[in-house]
Amino acid sequence: MSMNEQYASAVGGANELKEGRSMEAYTDLAGTDHAEVSKDRTREKTVGKPLLESAKMSTRNVKVFYDDKQVLFDVNLDIGANEVIAMIGPSGCGKSTFLRCLNRMNDTIDSCRVEGDLTLDGQNIYDPKLDVVPLRARVGMVFQKPNPFPKSIYDNVAYGPRIHGLVDHRAELDEVVETSLKRAGLWEEVKDRLHQPGTGLSGGQQQRLCIARTIAVSPEVILMDEPCSALDPIATARIEELIAELSENFTIAIVTHSMQQAARVSSRTAYFHLGKLIEVNDTEVVFTNPQHKLTEAYITGRFG
Amino acid sequence: MNNSTNSTMSRVEKTLARRYRAEKRFRVYGLLSILFGLACLAILFTDIISKGHSAFLQTRIQLTVELDPEELEIDDPTDPDQIRGGYYQGVIRDALAERFPEVDGRSAKRALNALVSDGAVYQLQDELRDDPALLGQEVSLWLLADDDVDTYVKSRREGQAFAGMLGEDQVQWIESLIASDDLRTQLNTTFFTASDSREPEQAGIAGAALGSLLTLLVTLVLSFPIGVAAAIYLEEYAPKNRVTELIEVNINNLAAVPSIIFGLLGLAIFINWFGMPRSVPLVGGLVLTLMTLPTIIISSRAAIKSVPPSIREAALGIGASRMQMVLHHVLPLAMPGMLTGTIIGMAQALGETAPLLMIGMVAFIVDLPAGVTDPATVLPVQIFLWSDSPERAFVERTSAAIMVLLAFLILMNTLAIWLRKRLERRW
Amino acid sequence: MDKLSLDKHISRQFNSDLEGLKTDLLEMGGLVENQIADAIRCFEELDTDIAQRVIDNEDTIDELEVTIDEQCTLVLAKRHPAASDLRMVLAVAKAVRDLERMADEAQKVALMAIALAEDGAPARNYPELQNIGNGVLAMLRHALDAFARYDVEMALSVVKDDQAVDLEYKAALRELISQMTKNPSSISKVMNVLWAVRSLERIGDHARNLAEHLIYLVKGKDVRHVSLSEMEKQVHQ
Repeated sequence: MSMNEQYASAVGGANELKEGRSMEAYTDLAGTDHAEVSKDRTREKTVGKPLLESAKMSTRNVKVFYDDKQVLFDVNLDIGANEVIAMIGPSGCGKSTFLRCLNRMNDTIDSCRVEGDLTLDGQNIYDPKLDVVPLRARVGMVFQKPNPFPKSIYDNVAYGPRIHGLVDHRAELDEVVETSLKRAGLWEEVKDRLHQPGTGLSGGQQQRLCIARTIAVSPEVILMDEPCSALDPIATARIEELIAELSENFTIAIVTHSMQQAARVSSRTAYFHLGKLIEVNDTEVVFTNPQHKLTEAYITGRFG
Repeated sequence: MNNSTNSTMSRVEKTLARRYRAEKRFRVYGLLSILFGLACLAILFTDIISKGHSAFLQTRIQLTVELDPEELEIDDPTDPDQIRGGYYQGVIRDALAERFPEVDGRSAKRALNALVSDGAVYQLQDELRDDPALLGQEVSLWLLADDDVDTYVKSRREGQAFAGMLGEDQVQWIESLIASDDLRTQLNTTFFTASDSREPEQAGIAGAALGSLLTLLVTLVLSFPIGVAAAIYLEEYAPKNRVTELIEVNINNLAAVPSIIFGLLGLAIFINWFGMPRSVPLVGGLVLTLMTLPTIIISSRAAIKSVPPSIREAALGIGASRMQMVLHHVLPLAMPGMLTGTIIGMAQALGETAPLLMIGMVAFIVDLPAGVTDPATVLPVQIFLWSDSPERAFVERTSAAIMVLLAFLILMNTLAIWLRKRLERRW
Repeated sequence: MDKLSLDKHISRQFNSDLEGLKTDLLEMGGLVENQIADAIRCFEELDTDIAQRVIDNEDTIDELEVTIDEQCTLVLAKRHPAASDLRMVLAVAKAVRDLERMADEAQKVALMAIALAEDGAPARNYPELQNIGNGVLAMLRHALDAFARYDVEMALSVVKDDQAVDLEYKAALRELISQMTKNPSSISKVMNVLWAVRSLERIGDHARNLAEHLIYLVKGKDVRHVSLSEMEKQVHQ
């Protein structure tokens, strides 16, 4: 057996062990915490620094229900301008639901009901008078699976500016497409095949295309829902690099299952657990010395 | 450890042979089913083609006809009224008498005249209209033979001559015509250009085909937009509640309702209540629309459902409105599936007889329909009518009409496949 | 968060990795403790055999340091530890270094004992050395106990003890200097004692470092280079 094989089998063995235990551990965790959470519901507050002095977006007492089932409990969180905030937590903790509240993507789900105040630059985004279409132009979204339209690369990026009427003539549109692709770090790779289908790109390129498509409408906030979960490590590294660059101009909220990713890309990290926002802190604090035991348990891969 | 793996392996090996045998049997069953299907299809096709192929040929008799203006009672061949009113029967009789001078006697002459179809007069009429200069000249023409002659000639070629209604002398005349090369079979153009007729040699499929075409056109124009719109509403807009559930269940049930019920419905509503005319493609199309709508709605909904939600999310996430999402992304992606469903529905409608019988499209119609409000019949009804006719010549025509219908169906299915390929390639 | 529970990972392998780190650290601590005790004894008795043994054992400790460092690297590479796990690995890596330095200092004391013996100095109790020696030995023991039990209070007491040791060191220094001025001919011998005392004082400093690493491990606060009162404030926050 070569060194490599040995190492691989050792690591594989460890993984098996990990997975074998994880499910049961999970239920265990959920079981104990349910009781704890419901007991302490009234007094438990988000630890750390969820609120900021000046926020781009802010949410107060956000509750979300699917039919009668409450999935988010009183989330208070500010998202500062040009910061990258990461949301982490186990599956089903409500982080994606929360993210989707921020541009009202939850509207598409009939059974979903959102309560509480959510504001973008002080304006209530759940105001019935507010049109959701311009909101989504201001708060763009990148999804878990790369989902380019089955159109050409050019048309993918041009779609947003076209439907919002952001450009007056073709040359302007060409320019928007080019700058968006450049900002997404994709221009060099696709400039010679702009009119080939976007679905022909690799997974990582597709995701960057989706990011280019999102920034083509110049949003103020970009929401990313596990943008790298379907990508290989190299493509992931590219996207992370891109997030760092984009944060100069955009406010970014990213949901991720990879704690390492949250640690790498974000300046603040929010930890959700069973629908509650447990802790919000500077990322370095969360990953070296989290203040809540649940955060600690989650990021160190523990249960109980 | 080693022992236990050994025993496991030996146990597994014991069952292995059995498993492989079962696997093989399973495969053979499937293969047999396919072979059975193919055999049935082959038998059907052989039967129909062997019976029907001869209908694409027709027998003609060459006669030298003198277009005598007096006999024809025509003095101005450019006048359409005169052309139409001409007495062509006489010149044909003269030509026959000239060809068979030995024939004498009233009944014998009538028997001789019966060799040529009544339709031959229209042939002369057309010749004269096309070339008025022919008036007063002697021309050699291939005139349409009577269906009995046709049947005799075709059966004779196959070995056993079938005289049927023909008398002995008639058979002799035919033999003499064959001997002098004055009788031949050629491509049956009448079958493709003429409408229905009591005389088999003059009967054609064109009227029914046109009727089918018009009916399907009405069906397509109505059912496709209505079906697609309904499917889009149900999939994209309708709230998920009891009412929509009820609608869904009913649509699914409608797809299973026997088609004759739709015919009764059409009769009650469109003809009796709205007072629309009977036997017209418009009403046929309306009835078939009712019948195909469920199919189209169901297949369109399936096509819309199969559009990945990620595409919808992408569109909404970038700020597209719902309509933009549907029109720009969902519809183009669902279109191939919708078209396939529609064409399958259309094919179903094309083969439908029962509901059309109810609204009177079973009538005997000699004229080609000029529009959706002209009385017409359709291909399957035509087949039904011919199969009911006693003349032997209608047997082959029935099979030929089935072949035409099948050709239509194959054409439509090919179109469906081509459309789907074509649209899918555009991603 | 006072209770630190480094087990209970979903991955049991990870638990045992971290447990192994801690056990090895304590084992190394035990060895170093012996080394220091031996070094002090050989100085008192001017026993060159014990001194030689101290010098020989140094290799074992060096090897242990390398082994534990490798384990730390492996855990970092394989597990990407975060939060308390990360602090654990870092604290162990640092503590190992301090322990190794302590062993080095113990070796120096042993070397001084040999030098003294070769000079033919009479075996006599060096009370200064003994006091400081016992002091730092206790500090090391407490620091290791604190590590074993993640006990920050005990770690704080180690830091306090270090101040006492520093005072004693200063007193000893004065005493030894006065000896030298009184009796210049004894300068070379007294210098050896002085070096040994200084080494022991260094050991005390390293024990204090150990305690600080533990506070970092348990509390997540870096208490190096801060005053004792500030440290207490942070720990009890």
